[in-house]
Amino acid sequence: MTTHRKKQRYIYRTQGVCPPEIHFQVDQGYLSEIRFVGGGCPGNAQLVTRLLEGRHLEEVLQLVNGIDCRNGTSCPDQLASAIQAITDGRLSPATSFLLVEDHTPKARMGLIGELAGNPQILKKMVRAMSESGVETVVCLGNLTGESMQNRQTLKSMRKLDIQAIQGQNDWNYAMGTESPPYPPLDQKARDWLIQLPQVLSFLVGPKKCIAFFGDFIQKLPGYSDYEPFALEMNMVCGLTDFMRDETVFPALEAMTPQFHADVVLFSQTRKWGYWHVGGKDFISIGPAADPDGLSWGLLESVHDDARFEVMRIN
Amino acid sequence: MAESVKVLPEEIQGIIEVHEWDMRTREGVQRFKELKAKSLPSVALDGKLVYEALIPMQEDLIAEIRLRHQQKNRDSLNVS
Repeated sequence: MTTHRKKQRYIYRTQGVCPPEIHFQVDQGYLSEIRFVGGGCPGNAQLVTRLLEGRHLEEVLQLVNGIDCRNGTSCPDQLASAIQAITDGRLSPATSFLLVEDHTPKARMGLIGELAGNPQILKKMVRAMSESGVETVVCLGNLTGESMQNRQTLKSMRKLDIQAIQGQNDWNYAMGTESPPYPPLDQKARDWLIQLPQVLSFLVGPKKCIAFFGDFIQKLPGYSDYEPFALEMNMVCGLTDFMRDETVFPALEAMTPQFHADVVLFSQTRKWGYWHVGGKDFISIGPAADPDGLSWGLLESVHDDARFEVMRIN
Repeated sequence: MAESVKVLPEEIQGIIEVHEWDMRTREGVQRFKELKAKSLPSVALDGKLVYEALIPMQEDLIAEIRLRHQQKNRDSLNVS
């Protein structure tokens, strides 16, 4: 089952307290999933979170407004400020990356890298994957490119029911910010691209995997370092420069216990790569076509582990 | 790591300014790279990486801080 976020999610930048941000959701006036992130007293924060879960905003405001801890405010008082800011129209829902979560475990997944607007390659790939017993196909972005067949590629994606995530080119098209030599694209195709997830979470056997394209996500308005899977992206894109700087792997290893995901997939560098660091798997998905031919990635569950292999098509 | 700095004696706390970077954040990662650090936890004094992948003994840390403090005082006296 695939679920899209439906509730409105807010990120409030605090003042005068230890946690720099409060994240929470509001569903028809009721508060949920409150998280005081980045600092403070974890025990107290958890208590506040549990006590306020599912309560109406007005009720919460009465309970927490004016509580003092330091600097004339407190974590609960900052939550009151956040609620007040929503009421006054000063705080809008967060517009960060779009995360889609697929909770149904898969045994064999096919992964496609940059297609760059080539529907013929897509069809060949899907045929090869089908022959290999792949259940689900995911394309990791840059479905579009400097191609006159972008529209046809997107049409094939829809027809073949392939799950895709946005790449940098797709985001540019969705926003209407592409420039030559990228050819124009009709509005319907752009509208389809804009609704694509930017981060996809799925299960391969018991292993939780996330797939994203690259560092354009970190530059999206409202991106927060404390969102689910932001740590994984910050470590891949920032700390290790897409796993190219192996000298910082000791630091990466120190951070992996805080990961939500077991397997992290990305495709920005247009190179195939596999690393196992700190008990986590990192996989770079190369382009669908390169001078050596066509390639796709097979990710499968073997004895409850995730196993990855690059598959070539001659 | 910040805990080992917080428990330093008051006389030492009085001569230092502590900045802690959160490695989960882009800002923390940026600072980590500027310092050319490789492991965690890391401690830099006056912008120079001094301890990496270890929490120093309190007396060692105090000695390093005092050394730099004295050096700075000497330099400022020489200038005046």
